[in-house]
Amino acid sequence: MLKFIRSHYWNLGLCLILVALLVFTRIIQPNYGASGLESLSRAALPFAFATAAQAIVVIAGGIDLSIASMMAVASVTAAVLMDGASEQTAIFVVPFVLFVGVCMGAINGMLIVFTRVPDIVVTLAMLFVWEGVALMILHAPGGGAAEWLKGLLIGSVPIYGVPETITQFIPKSLILMIVCIGVVWLPFRRSRFGLSVYAIGSSSLAAFRSGVSVNRTKIAAYALAGLFAAFGGLVLTASTGIGAPIPGPYLLASVAAVVLGGVTLGGGRGGLVGPIIAVVILRLVRTDLALLSVDPNVTAIVEGTIMVVVVMAGGLIAVRTRHK
Amino acid sequence: MKKQLLKATLLGAFTMSLMGSAMAMDYTIGISNTVQGNGWREEMVCAMKAEALASGKVKSLNIAHRNTDAAGQIEDINNLIQAGVDAIVINPANPDGVASAIKAATDKGIVVVAVDQSVSEESAYVLSNNQEEYAYLGAKWLFEQIGGKGSVVYMRGAAGASADDDRDKGFKRALAEHPDVKVAHEVFTGWQQDQGKQQILDYIATGIPFDGVWTSGIDNVIVDAFVESDTPLVPIVGADNAGFVGQLNSVDGLVGAAVTNPGSVGGAGVALAIKLLEGEKPAARTVLVDPELWENATEAGKAQLMAAADPSLDPEWPVSISIPGWTNYSKEQIIACKGPGE
Repeated sequence: MLKFIRSHYWNLGLCLILVALLVFTRIIQPNYGASGLESLSRAALPFAFATAAQAIVVIAGGIDLSIASMMAVASVTAAVLMDGASEQTAIFVVPFVLFVGVCMGAINGMLIVFTRVPDIVVTLAMLFVWEGVALMILHAPGGGAAEWLKGLLIGSVPIYGVPETITQFIPKSLILMIVCIGVVWLPFRRSRFGLSVYAIGSSSLAAFRSGVSVNRTKIAAYALAGLFAAFGGLVLTASTGIGAPIPGPYLLASVAAVVLGGVTLGGGRGGLVGPIIAVVILRLVRTDLALLSVDPNVTAIVEGTIMVVVVMAGGLIAVRTRHK
Repeated sequence: MKKQLLKATLLGAFTMSLMGSAMAMDYTIGISNTVQGNGWREEMVCAMKAEALASGKVKSLNIAHRNTDAAGQIEDINNLIQAGVDAIVINPANPDGVASAIKAATDKGIVVVAVDQSVSEESAYVLSNNQEEYAYLGAKWLFEQIGGKGSVVYMRGAAGASADDDRDKGFKRALAEHPDVKVAHEVFTGWQQDQGKQQILDYIATGIPFDGVWTSGIDNVIVDAFVESDTPLVPIVGADNAGFVGQLNSVDGLVGAAVTNPGSVGGAGVALAIKLLEGEKPAARTVLVDPELWENATEAGKAQLMAAADPSLDPEWPVSISIPGWTNYSKEQIIACKGPGE
């Protein structure tokens, strides 16, 4: 038990913050309930995928500045293909868009590996490239989305035999998030490839000397990030019903959630659970500020301050436990 | 329900006894805007605050004002629903993308008014500036001004924005009517002053001659760029921003036109929301505010521009700070930019 707490102290801390925030929300808005949680989870969805994408790359010792742009490409591709098409067509659109995401990520990774230009420079350049590609596919917001895809995000999950008073607290979007990320992340984490990603993030030289193919692992990590970015783009299209070629505020938010979620920016440490809880915390903070009707210009300052304080406090705890 | 009943009774009692001279100040209005740090949008938000204050019927405003996309606006609208507002006034990120959130709000009995741009969701009321007409009017004037032939620099707004797309339609319509006019250069200013200025300076530096400039509202810095680089002025079309209107009145040799695009439409949106809350319904779901063109090539136009000029405003603010028949605030109130309780 103690060992579990020690090894997961960051995630447990984040959970505590989340619970405290939920209690606080309930105090300032006594009506906050199932519908509030549902819209919170829906709002967190694109951020969660962007953050998952960023986390994998950061764990591998890199950084991907093109995530929001890749999401835009995925979003417009999906919206254009589904526009006016039948509901069944969309079943083929989803895997295709995910494949496009993997390809985009792999291109990012290959450019980094083969040109030996630093990650931050390549992905900064690709930010503009993917943004341009998105605008070429769709020059203004438009397109469409299949009804069943939109329906995947809205409402709660009915479970046979469980009364609705309980199931209404289980938003579909939350289940979608957990399933999509879990299906990719859990096998990955336990696989040889997952271990290699952590290894190259820790020290690519040591990993190389231990027989890890650094280049291949890096490309694969970026490809996986592309996959999550494509998931993010798909949920954007599903939630808005259209594709938007201008990237949303997902890049900086993903970096913020990754840091808050306990992933070391240098690479090699962290997981996905922390960053995802961090995403929900950051969204809930925004909800609370909206409920309190705080001046919008102050909102951004508050969000930034919370991040700095939490990361600093976390760093302090980490240093103290190491000294013991 | 109980609260509403009480509200109605109270309102009734007040109107009966005081003949409407005193009103209950108990509406909470939510605002959602997705572009921050742009003079036009800042004026819009200030107009919303000023109207809420001037009406005397709004207890507080709950403002979500940040740079985000349609998905972010859905989040903001949902948060406003959770906050229990009576009405929401939005400047939609795009016409279709926020439909689901608007539906969720109106299903809960919340009044939704979209300003500046239209929305497809039919339960919302729309008070929008006619963006296609905005571009058509200015472009047509420009093409006629240069004699129906020549080349123009086309300085658009933000790539992928729906207002920019609508304006492009209007511009292309005018272009089709003037077959001898060519677009020498097309750029996206992103509605950023510094970017637009750099872009025109870069183009001037190429030495390729051109006969006119059409801008999507990034205008006064374009005139500055000509003046500072000692380039002979060509006709320039912009919006009714205070800085540009001032230049049309004062810069020697500048021929140009300002097309109105009032940011005060935000204040009108709040006024409409209050009317709806009080049970007054407008004749149509959509009200389009049509633009006007003020040019300094004729005496009549000059007089219009002189009357419109207002050096006391921020140069990035449109001079049309109020919409007659809609807004009730004073100039001091919109410049102060304070809402109820601030």
